[in-house]
Amino acid sequence: MSGTILENLSGRKLSILVASLLLCQVLCFLLGGLYAPLPAGHVTVLGSLCREDHARQNDTEFLLYSRGAGACIPVTREEVERDSMKMANELVHVFQMPLPRDLRDLDYSRWQQNLIGVLQVEFGYDSSSELREPPRELQLTIDMRLAYRNKGDPDNGWKLYAHGVEHRYLDCVPTNVGPTETLYSCDMIPLFELGALHHSFYLLNLRFPLDTPRQMNLQFGHMHDLTLTAIHQNGGFTQIWLLLKTVLFPFVVGIMIWFWRRVHLLQRSPALLEYMLIYLGAALTFLNLPLEYLSLAFEMPYMLLLSDIRQGIFYAMLLSFWLVFAGEHMLIQDAPNKSTIRSRYWKHLSAVVVGCISLFVFDICERGVQLRNPFYSIWTTPLGAKVAMTFIVLAGVSAAIYFLFLCYMIWKVFRNIGDKRTSLPSMSQARRLHYEGLIYRFKFLMLATLVCAALTVAGFVMGQMAEGQWDWNDNVEIQLTSAFLTGVYGMWNIYIFALLILYAPSHKQWPTMHHSDETTQSNENIVASAASEEIEFSHLPSDSNPSEISSLTSFTRKVAFD
Amino acid sequence: MDISYIFVICLMALCSSGSGLSQVEGKQKSGRGRGSMWWGIAKVGEPNNITPIMYMDPAIHSTLRRKQRRLVRDNPGVLGALVKGANLAISECQHQFRNRRWNCSTRNFSRGKNLFGKIVDRGCRETSFIYAITSAAVTHSIARACSEGSIESCTCDYSHQSRSPQANHQAGSVAGVRDWEWGGCSDNIGFGFKFSREFVDTGERGRNLREKMNLHNNEAGRAHVQAEMRQECKCHGMSGSCTVKTCWMRLANFRVVGDNLKARFDGATRVQVTNSLRATNALAGVSPNAAGSSSSSSNGLIIPQSVVYGEEEERMLNDHMPDILLENSHPISKIHHPNMPSPNSLPQAGQRGGRNGRRQGRKHNRYHFQLNPHNPEHKPPGSKDLVYLEPSPSFCEKNLRHGILGTHGRQCNETSLGVDGCGLMCCGRGYRRDEVVVVERCACTFHWCCEVKCKLCRTKKVIYTCL
Repeated sequence: MSGTILENLSGRKLSILVASLLLCQVLCFLLGGLYAPLPAGHVTVLGSLCREDHARQNDTEFLLYSRGAGACIPVTREEVERDSMKMANELVHVFQMPLPRDLRDLDYSRWQQNLIGVLQVEFGYDSSSELREPPRELQLTIDMRLAYRNKGDPDNGWKLYAHGVEHRYLDCVPTNVGPTETLYSCDMIPLFELGALHHSFYLLNLRFPLDTPRQMNLQFGHMHDLTLTAIHQNGGFTQIWLLLKTVLFPFVVGIMIWFWRRVHLLQRSPALLEYMLIYLGAALTFLNLPLEYLSLAFEMPYMLLLSDIRQGIFYAMLLSFWLVFAGEHMLIQDAPNKSTIRSRYWKHLSAVVVGCISLFVFDICERGVQLRNPFYSIWTTPLGAKVAMTFIVLAGVSAAIYFLFLCYMIWKVFRNIGDKRTSLPSMSQARRLHYEGLIYRFKFLMLATLVCAALTVAGFVMGQMAEGQWDWNDNVEIQLTSAFLTGVYGMWNIYIFALLILYAPSHKQWPTMHHSDETTQSNENIVASAASEEIEFSHLPSDSNPSEISSLTSFTRKVAFD
Repeated sequence: MDISYIFVICLMALCSSGSGLSQVEGKQKSGRGRGSMWWGIAKVGEPNNITPIMYMDPAIHSTLRRKQRRLVRDNPGVLGALVKGANLAISECQHQFRNRRWNCSTRNFSRGKNLFGKIVDRGCRETSFIYAITSAAVTHSIARACSEGSIESCTCDYSHQSRSPQANHQAGSVAGVRDWEWGGCSDNIGFGFKFSREFVDTGERGRNLREKMNLHNNEAGRAHVQAEMRQECKCHGMSGSCTVKTCWMRLANFRVVGDNLKARFDGATRVQVTNSLRATNALAGVSPNAAGSSSSSSNGLIIPQSVVYGEEEERMLNDHMPDILLENSHPISKIHHPNMPSPNSLPQAGQRGGRNGRRQGRKHNRYHFQLNPHNPEHKPPGSKDLVYLEPSPSFCEKNLRHGILGTHGRQCNETSLGVDGCGLMCCGRGYRRDEVVVVERCACTFHWCCEVKCKLCRTKKVIYTCL
């Protein structure tokens, strides 16, 4: 009777395989650590103040910019103070990205993938006229216009990308209480998220309309500095990341094809675990697919959403696989027929489904809406933030339930294995080898999974704490954040790659010859204690050829009858 | 008036009695005020009207030293930022000292004279504040201008990215563009500090006590800007989770820096000459290194070569690390992180040690000195403390010889018991009460878009003026 490759692999071969996979893992880590830059870079832009005449204010095609031919002449804070009306409703805050550096005009590259903008607001109250504390949640109304320009366009060739009038709620603390003015500094507010950084230059025009009948922006004294931080993915990181994906993609596809052919060479239909493995491989392949290359040629604002969905599908599949794997070793067979997801696991998997759906809905509400309006954020309104929080808490609760349930199942499997261990010496040699192989296989997966999960958590914690690089010695430094990202990504690829190899059906026979196996069985038949096993093998429809059944399933059923 | 005058004369006599000191005084006279002439650029025009060509303008030309002119010429856009910075310093100084007898008044600027008047010839507290606030304002203003995009020669912070294989082989701007595409160009607030050191500290070679005082106070001003920087972070991983986090530094409002410096002004340390100082003086006097190497690295500000960034950043790190880390380890360690030199910027690791050694020597010459308190029971001044050499005059009466305008005609607060109260401010000479009517715009209504209507309100105000 044959099992999976893992059981039949000699210790030496297995250690060679594991060692080479570990080597790949180290390579993935070092690729990120030594070659990739930080995953994201940022440009901090201080807003320039421009004055505009009233006639152009409703014209959304009219854009003010601060550098290049035809740029507005910025007004200073003192000029605003000198103006009798403080230039109310005439000021435009202009942010032009990226900034020039080292005597060069920098431009965004498509390798930089996406752009996220956050705004930091500082404002001051006249202490004499308004002594009251500003309310905790100040509503700020912003008229935002985002425009772009490409390399080679004239300096005034800005084209409007998006326009919106949005509300943001500010949380501010006084930073300085002076005799004439109290300064407030506010928490940063999300401003925009672009899924595609397709153009070379971006321009943001912000206006804070003052309107008495509509009570708009009246609580703000005077705006001081507005600082925009535009975060983009680093081109070098995108290149390393894509390189990793491009290299891993054909390997995983190849091993999937090999695995599925192996399964189909057998005369039985594939077992549930084999289906799960191939689904898992498919989810990983979808994640590996280097779609980002397309974004170099086409504008794909949905890339952020798509990558979230791809990761979500992969994690959902991985979590389901662990549950089904533990379940298939549960050693309690309530239905005699072949187990499918629908018949056995829908209850178990409901936590995964609920968690994933709530995260998906949250993502659609956030990044899905941003496809239409890049200035939208669900977090900006108190209600939206509550809804978003609800979804996230729901996902968190599902995750907690899932892990508790998984731990319970694994504990049960271990208890059953312990029970089985005691009866092992009384079994025939072939059967004992069989069981020992199965237990070994289960423990192998447990060990591998635990190591991977622990490394992920440790890497995450390390990446959060170390903040940046870590000097090995004078010449070698490891970029920990990038190393963590590429290391974890490579690790789950290698993990699934190893599962597909090791849990594929083996061609090899058991050490005892096939006919002697049968003789042992017939011998056992004589022994009354083994009668139950005979019944087990005879009444299972998929067991028409016992030598080909995944020994895993036979093991579970066997134990169930014991 | 007489008492204070006599006191000052006595002090002078006391000072000149020491033979070692008289030499220092003599040296100081020759270079008196020269290092701080650049303050005059505050008055050359509106910052926005400053064009890069204006460094040729005679008004600017006369205020700047040769090295400062070169820095301005080589860093387009920096002049506007310097003008803004100088004005920022003046307005902040006047805000902080609005209630004191000395109110940081500036003279009508004329060529060859000092903007703040003769008060800076004396090494008193007020002078220490002027030096610190101007140095801090330049740092702040240059860093701001970099993020406004008005200075094109601001440098990138290349420390966080690893080597990009292709970039190293190419030279000049191509490598820079690749670096930007590869690892981004995060804001480097360090440029403001670097520039401030090159520009503000020109001419302060630290050879005598007064120059050491100026250097210390300039450094203190910059240290306060640095200490008030705050780190902000944003998570932007999968679904906005913190698997990927980006952090950056945020400059504080200059008012906060001004407040902190004013607090240090109130607790400033009076320092004096010690034996150890004379020993380092002698060393500095014979070392030709100080001026030479500083001018060579000032060139580096504009040459876009990775070699130079490495040198600059490393120097910055060496100079700042030891003294500031002691003061306040938490924010500073974060601030200094971006300035870590990367292997990318150093062409050969072997050169590192040698360059380090040379710079180490220079650091001792110019920035690394310890001033001893006048009163041995006081603790020695820290890097953020202000230091002064002689007590301040009373500032009550007009004394043009010492550049003191006096408090005649100053407004005061009748109810206050502090220095801004009419009793102390007017030095007992009495005060006048006036009633004035102020016309202001009030009760404004706004309509978007585009109307603003205001009423005119008349309010009566009572003003007290010193006789």
